[in-house]
Amino acid sequence: MEAKDDELPPLDPAESLRLIAHEQATTARRLTPDPRLLLWPWGLAWLIGFGVFFLRFGPDERVLVDMPDWVPLTVLLGSMIVAGIITGVVGARAARQVSGPSSRQGAMYGFTWSVAFIGMATLFSRISDLLPVPEANLLWAGAMVALTGALHMAGGAIWNDRSLFVLGLAISVVNVVGIIIGAGWHALIVAVLGGGGMLVAGLVSWLRMAR
Amino acid sequence: MTGGLPELDPVIHAQARLRVVAALSPLGPGDRIAFPRLQDILQMTAGNLSVHLRKLEDAGYVEVTKTHQGRTPATLVRLTGRGRVAFEDYTAALHALLNGTAKPQEES
Repeated sequence: MEAKDDELPPLDPAESLRLIAHEQATTARRLTPDPRLLLWPWGLAWLIGFGVFFLRFGPDERVLVDMPDWVPLTVLLGSMIVAGIITGVVGARAARQVSGPSSRQGAMYGFTWSVAFIGMATLFSRISDLLPVPEANLLWAGAMVALTGALHMAGGAIWNDRSLFVLGLAISVVNVVGIIIGAGWHALIVAVLGGGGMLVAGLVSWLRMAR
Repeated sequence: MTGGLPELDPVIHAQARLRVVAALSPLGPGDRIAFPRLQDILQMTAGNLSVHLRKLEDAGYVEVTKTHQGRTPATLVRLTGRGRVAFEDYTAALHALLNGTAKPQEES
């Protein structure tokens, strides 16, 4: 009977320490959501959303692919909403396994994202019509990326997660560089370096976890 | 410091209960894990896990709470402060045994 064997002590201290390390690693692995599910939806949303932006509103107001001017922002916001829903569901599923201070922390952090984006979108939707189209687009895109970078850095600070912090910092730097170079290029830089960076970051953290 | 070999906590010095406590240890203080999730991590039967949880609960090392999440009843398990200390002492004792002698306690 298995229950009887369970009462036996482990064979020796080294064996016990291995057993402890194994159980701790299993718990950590099971309770941490797959980083690919958290980062890839956002990476794809940026790659597609800002990619479409670049094709419609290229540098010097060039139109690389002709489409109605409302399409890029709609695609970008739509793909970001989808990514937000996916990561929200993944986060909520992980939170259902554990209750207590850390899941409250996660819920507050998730809520912070929504509130910050709603605040930004409310303000910009009232003033962006006053700007020329390239500048209005740069305002939306630049602020969205700045907010994302800052919230990732805050997440790194909350969970003492260096790679999340570095990802946020990299996004913030790429954003500032893109804004300085100007409208059009910003979308391309953010799509490739920001979106691509998140895809790579998801892959790297997943590989690190799988070991 | 006696210099002798440290004694191992009999409650945890059983393979199954050591595994339970070790699996709970990465959770933050105050965090409770759902019973089925713990069962899944440890690959134990529900009956077997319940038996060991009861022994750990009797020793004051874990706290088992029955609650409701929405309409479904849920059983949540938490490592108590006392359980955490016992686990840390046990781990320290293992290290000491492994090194042959009890090492002087490091400041922590």
